[in-house]
Order: sequence, then C-alpha cells, then structure tokens
Amino acid sequence: MIETVLGSSIGGLGIGFQHALEPLNLGMIALGLVIGILAGALPGITMLNSIVLVLPFTYLMGIVPALLLMIGVYCGGVFGGSITGILFNIPGDPMNVPTTWEGYQLSQQGRTQYALGLAIMSSAVGGLVSALFLAFFAPPFARFALTLSSVEFFSVVLFGLAGVSVLNQSSLPAALISLFAGLFLGTVGTEAQYGVERFAFGVPFLKTGVDFVTVLIGLFAIGEVLEQIVTAQPRIAARGPARTVPRLPLRDLWPLRGPLARGTLVGIAVGGLAGAGATVSSFVSYGLEKQFSKTPELFGRGHAGALVASESSVNGSTGGAMIHLLTLGIPGSAATAVMMGAFLIHGIQPGPLLFTKQPEQVYTLFAGMILANVLMVAFGFLAAMCFATLMRVPAPILNTLIVVFCFIGAFALRNDMADVWLTMLFGVIGFFMRRYDLPIPPLVMGVILGPMAEQYFLTSMVAHGNDLTVFVTRPVSAVILGLAVLLVLAPSLRRLRRGAA
Amino acid sequence: MGSRARAAALLAGVLGSGLLFASTWPLDAMAPRGQLGPGFWPRLALIGLAMACLLKLREERRAGPDGTEASEVLPRVSGSRLALGIACILAYVIAAPRLGFPLATAAFIVAFMVVAGARGVPGIAATALLGTVILLYTFIKLVYLPFPKGAGPFEHVTLALYRALGIF
Repeated sequence: MIETVLGSSIGGLGIGFQHALEPLNLGMIALGLVIGILAGALPGITMLNSIVLVLPFTYLMGIVPALLLMIGVYCGGVFGGSITGILFNIPGDPMNVPTTWEGYQLSQQGRTQYALGLAIMSSAVGGLVSALFLAFFAPPFARFALTLSSVEFFSVVLFGLAGVSVLNQSSLPAALISLFAGLFLGTVGTEAQYGVERFAFGVPFLKTGVDFVTVLIGLFAIGEVLEQIVTAQPRIAARGPARTVPRLPLRDLWPLRGPLARGTLVGIAVGGLAGAGATVSSFVSYGLEKQFSKTPELFGRGHAGALVASESSVNGSTGGAMIHLLTLGIPGSAATAVMMGAFLIHGIQPGPLLFTKQPEQVYTLFAGMILANVLMVAFGFLAAMCFATLMRVPAPILNTLIVVFCFIGAFALRNDMADVWLTMLFGVIGFFMRRYDLPIPPLVMGVILGPMAEQYFLTSMVAHGNDLTVFVTRPVSAVILGLAVLLVLAPSLRRLRRGAA
Repeated sequence: MGSRARAAALLAGVLGSGLLFASTWPLDAMAPRGQLGPGFWPRLALIGLAMACLLKLREERRAGPDGTEASEVLPRVSGSRLALGIACILAYVIAAPRLGFPLATAAFIVAFMVVAGARGVPGIAATALLGTVILLYTFIKLVYLPFPKGAGPFEHVTLALYRALGIF
C-alpha cells in the first residue's frame, strides 16, 4: 500500500518537475517569490493582500503558470515579514511575531547576519519538508484532519495562548495583564455569531473591530522608534561597520536540527487544521520549543532555537494548508481560499477527483512548491541583503521613514485614517508599556489569537450543548490541552526539581 | 512612576474592568436561552484582567517601594524629545487629511528628522523631497492607494503635484 503510494507519488513528481522546470513556469515561481517577499516585508501589506493583488493577473495565464505564481507569492510572503522583523522589530505579518521577538534581540546583539541566515534556511527547510509531505501524504492526512472539529482547533489556539507563560518576563501578573487586555481588545467590534456590536460606543470605525495589524505595527514599530529617539540610541547595526549581510549558516543550523524538526512538524500539523494556519503554528511551536530547550531562560533575549522553530513552522504550515484545498476542495486558510478562486477561474474544481482527473497539474503544483522553497534560499538572501543595507542609513532618517511606512501600512489596511490613528495610539501605548515593564508580546498574542479562540469555543459549545467536558473527552483535544497544562506548569516544575536537587 | 501611581493605575484597571464587565450583560439579549451569548468571552477577558491587576498589586506590595522599578534598567528618557516626537506623529495624522498626503509627509519628514537628531539641512531637505516623491510613485502609481488629497485649496495643490509628477 505504502509502496504503491510512494511509487505513484515519485512518478507524478517526476512529471511535475518536467513541467515546473519549463522557463515560463520557473519564471513565475521566481516572480512570485520576489512579490511575496517584498509584500510580506512591508507592514500592512500582508501575504494575503499580495496573493489577492496578483489574482487578476492570472486570468490571462494558463492554470499551471498562474498557480505557480501564486505558490511563489505564498511561500515568499510567509517568510518576507521576518526580514523586517529581525532588522527593524517590525513583523510584516502576525505570523512573523515570534521570529521578531528573538531575531531582533539577536540583531541588537550585533548578530544580524546570523539571525537572517537562520531565518532564511529554517524557513526554506520547513517549506521544503512540508511540500514533500504534501506530495506523498496529502490524502491520508486530509482524511485524519476531517475528523477534527472546532473542539480541537480551540485546544490548539489555547495552547498558543498558554505560550504566554513561556515568554521571558520578569512578572507573570504583568504578562497576564497584557494578555487579558489583548483578549479584550480582540472582542471590540461586531461579534461574528450574533452580529452584536461590542464596546464600539457609537464610534463607527470601532464597529468593524480593532485590526490586529494596527496593534502590531503600533506596538512594535512606532513604540521602538519613540524609544530610539528619546534615548538617542541608534540601532545597533547603524552604530558601526558590523556586517549585516546574511551568511549561509549550515554549520550553525546543524546544532539546531531539533528545533528545526519540531518547528516543521508543528507547522505541517497545525497548518493542516482548517482555519488555524501559519500564525497559530508559529505561536504554538514557539511555546513548545521552550519545553524542549535546555536554555529556556534565554527566550525573548535572542534564542536561536526559538527563532528556528517558529520560522520553520511558519513555512511548514504552507503544505499543510494546501492539503485541504487539493484533497477536499476546502480552503484551509484565507490564502488558500484565494488560490481556490484561481482554480475555479480556470475551470478546475479542487477536491478528491483532482488527483485522478488532473494528476499532472497537481504534481506540477507540488513540484512548484518544492522548487519555490529551494529558490527561496537565493531570493531570501538577496532580499535580506537589500533590506540589510537599510541598516546603514543614519538613525534619524531610518526612524522617520519607519513612521511614514507605518502610516502607509496602516492606511492600506482599509484606506481609512482611523486605522492610522489607532496605529499611532498603540505606538505611544507601546512606548509606555516598555517603560513600565508591561510585556508587549502577550498583548499581541491576545489580540491575534483571542478572536479565533472565542469563535472556536462558542462553536464547540453550540455543537455540544455547552458541555465543557468535550474538550477532555475527545482524545486529540485532551492531548493538546494536556500539553498546554504542562507548558504552563513547566517553570514551576523546573523550580521544584532544582530545589529538590 | 512612583509606587503610589502604579498602585493607582492598577486599581483603575480593576475599576475599568468592572465597569466594562457591567456593560456586557445587555449583549446576551440576542442569545437563545441556555446558550452562551456574545457577552461571555469579553466577561472572561475582563475577569482575567481584573484578577491580573490585583495579582500585580499584591506582587508590588510584597516587593516594597524598591522592588517596583522596571526589572531591566532602561536608558534615561529625554522628556522634551518624547513630547516633540509624539506631537510630530499626532500632527502628521491630523494634517494628512487636511494638507494632503504629499505635503503632510514632506513636512513630517523634516520635523521628525530634526527631533530625531538630524542636523544637516541639505540631507533633511533631500530626504523629505526625494522620499515623498518615491513614496508617491510607489504607492499611488503602482499600488493605487487612495491617500488623502487634502481639503480646500490643498486638494488642488495635491492634484497639481500629481499631474506635475505624471502620477495622474
């Protein structure tokens, strides 16, 4: 059985590579990577925005180049935000937040090239393994994923939120204040299930809620700029002639093979849950990594293993998210929903019959994903080099331009000045949070994961008659919740063990 | 912030959570009987927020006045620069819909660069002019972002500028 699956997959991939390596198709992958990395790196222009932007251009193309272009944008887009996160503390997308926590700290220690190199390589490896997994095991994995429901999805998101306990903070109550404030902010706006307005207080733009990108850009970027100008401390790389061009860290990556493998596996597994996607997987793998780490006290201070785990899980989730689309015809994320649109525009219905009716196109897509992740090493390095040269720009110019880019990024969300106001407001809040020792990451986690947790929780309650035991009676959910409890208790258990020793 | 001010801020957090908590009950009117309504999740968050504020208050009381400072020693702040920096950012957001994006951005770049420590006039002027033009070409010509054009006479100025640059 396994031999048959492997044999047909290898044969299919061979044909897929023949098609994907044609100059036009290869060019489309490369173009997609460039667009994706650049768009992902600009705060406010997300990977999803860039996929939507290229969709109209695919109308006149054949299905294969069109899909390969989108695959390129998808793979490049999930990585691009890490570059600006590491260099400027501005994550391009919410999924790049854990990478930013560690990568920016490494950058501040003068290890920019090391951090960028690790991010590029781990992202490429995660994406590559994920694409191979997709090529060989998509149908059985999809059948398993179908047995999961909002109960398991809630447990996964809760696991991500439990990660607040592993973030390096001096005070757990301060982290909890930040987390619950974030969870509350996530409830502002029109509620999805009943359509009720919550905490909008008659303010029109609050009815649509607080977009988490405004929180993200404000707290991280504007707060950081204010910190820089009031302390007159230039960004580390701008101080001296230190090299910021990334280097290929193959030797550095080998000792980090554990986090790399774990991050990739978490990415594939969480990416395979419909609706969870790269953001949840990055938070989950970050939290999980601290469980395994021998130096958990260094989390939040430039931990290479944490960076590798979160970055590999982000790109690792791309293959998982594609499984639902290709095998069941159900888009697993917003990005794959747009790709489904591209399939339908070209008269192809994704689903179980796709593998038997159009196997050539399916395997060309798999081959395209593999090639995109290989090519991403080269394109990632090129992009990182270009962005790294910005680090040499004098601090006053750089800080000013960062504020202008934040303005543009916030405005681009909904073409609304209200989002710009919110971004700047969160920027000032972020500055004072830094000053008064209130950690920012838990608030960001609350705003991003809170609405997902609420949606899955309430759906589970409606489906199971408000029976809370459903979270522990379903085996997969029980295991994930058990891991979440372990994650929360781990610091206390470690202290107890040290005390006993 | 002194220990009293921190305690007051935390108590304000508890009080604010309580007030918001009270405002959540009418939200559940939409939900069918026996089902969790749209007020449930915010209530959970607000209870957590109030509890966390109380825990923090207890932690600070235990630590005493010397233990309430930030764990990481941050560099000293220049209060005037902070005020000017925030004022520049707020003025930018206020000015953009009135003056239009190009004029507001050029003015902001000049002002913020000075606040951030730049001193060379040619460098500041070049950054403001070139930076604004490059941004206009990239985000209006290529990405079609409908930036604010300004009100009254400033709208005409912005449109004239766009025409002169070949953007429109």
